[in-house]
Formats: sequence, C-alpha cells, structure tokens
Amino acid sequence: MISTQNLSKTYKDGVKALNSVTLNIDKKLVSFIGRNGAGKTTLLRILSTQLKPSSGTASVAGFDIMKQPDKIRKKIVSIPQEASTLGVLTPIEHLKLYLIARGFSVLQANEEALKALRELEMYDARNKPSDTLSGGMKRKVFVAMALAANADITFLDEPTTGLDPVSRFEVWSAIKNLSGNIVLTTHYMEEAQELAEEVVLVESGEILEKGSVKNLLHKFEGKVRVESVKPDSGDYQIGRTYVKYVKQEDAEDYIRNGYNVRRITLDDLFVLRGVNLEP
Amino acid sequence: MNLRFSLAFAWYYGFRTIKRGPSYVIASLSSPLTLLFLIYIISHGVLIRYAVVGGFLGLVASVSFASVGDAAFLRIQLRIQDLFVATSISPTDYILGLTLSYLIFSMPGIILYAIIGALIHIFTIESIIALILLLVVLTISTAGLSMTIGGAVNHLRNVWGISAIMSVVLTVLPPTFYPYTDLPKYIIYILSVSPTTPAAVLAQGFFGFEPIMYVMIPIMIVESIVFFVLARFFTRWREN
Repeated sequence: MISTQNLSKTYKDGVKALNSVTLNIDKKLVSFIGRNGAGKTTLLRILSTQLKPSSGTASVAGFDIMKQPDKIRKKIVSIPQEASTLGVLTPIEHLKLYLIARGFSVLQANEEALKALRELEMYDARNKPSDTLSGGMKRKVFVAMALAANADITFLDEPTTGLDPVSRFEVWSAIKNLSGNIVLTTHYMEEAQELAEEVVLVESGEILEKGSVKNLLHKFEGKVRVESVKPDSGDYQIGRTYVKYVKQEDAEDYIRNGYNVRRITLDDLFVLRGVNLEP
Repeated sequence: MNLRFSLAFAWYYGFRTIKRGPSYVIASLSSPLTLLFLIYIISHGVLIRYAVVGGFLGLVASVSFASVGDAAFLRIQLRIQDLFVATSISPTDYILGLTLSYLIFSMPGIILYAIIGALIHIFTIESIIALILLLVVLTISTAGLSMTIGGAVNHLRNVWGISAIMSVVLTVLPPTFYPYTDLPKYIIYILSVSPTTPAAVLAQGFFGFEPIMYVMIPIMIVESIVFFVLARFFTRWREN
C-alpha cells in the first residue's frame, strides 16, 4: 500500500524533519505516533502529495509520489492537521464541495454526502452553519468527507487534537466507520492503542519502532510503571519525574512507599528510548 | 480543469457569505458609499457620475484586494487549501473559484450602484456592456494580484494590514472617483500598476465623461493575464 525508501525532508530554514525514512505499510489502520515536531505531519504530507521530499522515494497505492501525484490523488483522502471548517458553510455544503473537487457530479455528491452524514449521525446538523457546531462536530465534518469520498487510502493528521474526551470518542467512532486503509498521526498514545492495527513510533525524523501494540509492549509483559519525584537507581527521567519498571507483584510495596504506579502504555516505549514526553 | 468545482466554490463561498454574513457585504460597501457621499457634498453634485461609476470599480477592487487576507487565511489558518491539494483539482480551479466568489460577493453592491446609476441616468446599453466587461476583467486582475501576494505570505499577522493598505492605495489613489484628465498623463501610466486605473480610465471613456484612452485596453488585458498567471505560480500548491 505505502512504501518509502530513504525519504528525507529538510525545510528551507534548515530544519531536518525527516531523516532517511524507509518504511512499508500494508495494514488496515496504521498510526504514526510521536511528539509534536517528531516528523509525523511531514511524513503524512509527503505521502499525501501535499509536500515534496528533499530526497528519497515513496509510493502510495502503487504510484510514485513525485512522478504520479495525480494518480495518487484519485485514490486518497487527506485531512490536514487542525483543518477548520468555513464558518458560513454547513456540513452538507462542505461535503458536497469536497466531493465535487474529487470529481463527483452534483447529484452524486449530494447523495453520498447525505449518506455519510446519516452514518455519522450528523444528519440533523447538516444544514447548520458550521460556526455553530461544537469542536467535535466540526472535526466529524472532515471525517464525513473522508467517509463520503470512499477512497482507497485515508490520511488523517491528528484528527482529535484539542478535542474534549467526549468529542474525541465521537471522532474515533467515526474513524472506525471509514472504508479502505487509514493512516493517522497522533500524539495521544491511547488513540493509537484504541484505533491502530499497527503503530509506527516517530522521533526526530526517524522511525524508532514499528509493529502491533501487543508486540511493541511485549517487552513490558508482567511489569508496571513506577513514578517518583525522587531519583532512584535505574530510573529514567521525564522532566521532574523519575520512572522505572518493576514486576506487577511488587506494585503494592511501591504504592505503600508513596510511589505512583501506572499500567504500561505506548508512552513507555518512548521512555525506554530516553525521549522526554513531557509537554 | 474542474470548472464544476470552481462554480460550486464560487456559489458556496460567495453566495452563502452574502446570505449568512450580511455584515461583510455592508462593510465592503461602506468605503465606496462614504466616498460617494463626500464627493457629492464637496463637488456640489457635479462629480457624482464619476463617483457612481468609480463605486462599481472600487467595490469590486476592494473586495478582491481583501482576498490577500482570505487566500492566506484559507491556506495558513483553516488549512482548506491543503485539503484540496490532495484532490483532482488544480491551482487554477481553486483560484478561479475564489475569484468568481468575490464577483458574486460584490453583487449586492453592484445592484445598489446600478439603482443609483439608473436614478441619475448615466447608463446606455453600450456603457452597461462595457461596465460588465470591465468589472469581470478587473475582478480577475485584482484577485490575481491579491492571491499572488497572499501566496507569498508566511504568517497571518501582517496579512490584514497588507490587504487594507492595498485596498486604499490601489483603489482610492487611482482616478476611480475623479476625472482621470485631472492628472498628468505620466502619473496615469504610473498609477496603471494598479488594475483599477485602466478600468477607471476606460469606464470614464465608455460612459462619455472623458475621452476614451484606448491604450488602456491592452494594458488592462495584459495585466489581468499577468496577474492571473502569477497567482497560478505563486499560489503554494504542492509545497517544496
């Protein structure tokens, strides 16, 4: 579905956003996770033909991103990070406009737009100007666009950033309705765990690890995370917090001694790599 | 080319804004109507014909110049442009859609000026046809110029200031609201950098207020082509 070969990107201001990324993606829903500035958006924008790489090659749906961008654009939907609706337009108008841009006739666009809005339970809000919608509903307008377009591959760049938990859950449900393959970026570990069949850990423009959540977390099997504000031997430091991994059966002892004990998440893969996840 | 998209975009972005944001329409009319009032008072009604014809052009130009901010806002803030990059449409479809939306957005003002013009009997069939053509070509060139500048902007913080400056300097300074014959010829040529100047000079000629300066026809056509082509290349579509 997607493959990259030594893909690199250095912006005009000298910032190196991607460093020789070689990657193959063939799962139904793949998530790039990493901190802000890790290179996720750059990678997604290159793959969805919005940005040119500095070097390297990539193919999406069997087409070269540099030589055949028009063919790729027929196969993909790409929802940009923090894309906002046009306040004066209603959800159905957004969808129709987007579908017409994708080559649908006006009648087809209307039909598919209504179908998608019904499926995402947005039908009642279809004629409300979008500046009257909640943040979650506005994001769902974009997911509805992707749903109505029925593309082979959907790229979603941080689809739930800035949303409250309820809105985030709504958007997750909407994403699960999408057909075809989905590639999304996020810096919410629980989002990747909830949605992705495969996760790709991105840091400083490089791929740290790739695999299913279960496989990636295998090394932590039977362990919990113990946090303290005081340094201890074998600790990883995250800001002012010290972290170590202990056996699950020892957890109660640590709790009694005033430590915070948490279950293992994808965050811990970054901790092991010495990446400071504090905002 | 996806003309269906350009027309749909123009309809939604132009007409829906009129319907759901009428304050924008009033705001776009406020400057030319204020000038119309001032010119009427100061010239004791003598120059009102100029102010009405100039009002058509000033309105269309100022709406289009506001697109500097609009184009940058859609690209940088709303990320709507990025959404369309990954579809089948070309930058030309997008620019054409935006340009046509500004023309639609100017319609309430154009109708108002048409009523004022009819009341003071300035129209003939020929002058109406000439005015329509001038307004269309003026929209293309001013929107093209604006989107060229809007495409070069990296940050939104300066963009509204730039569009306000452009609107005043490139609309009020040229002989839009006063007889072009009041200016030395070389000044007219200098002011022709703004597409509003050839449009105003020609309009005053076609309405019979002043002699027709035919050299402004090729200037206006060339400017509209140049500015539209520049917009096509300066609009950041697939970014480097």
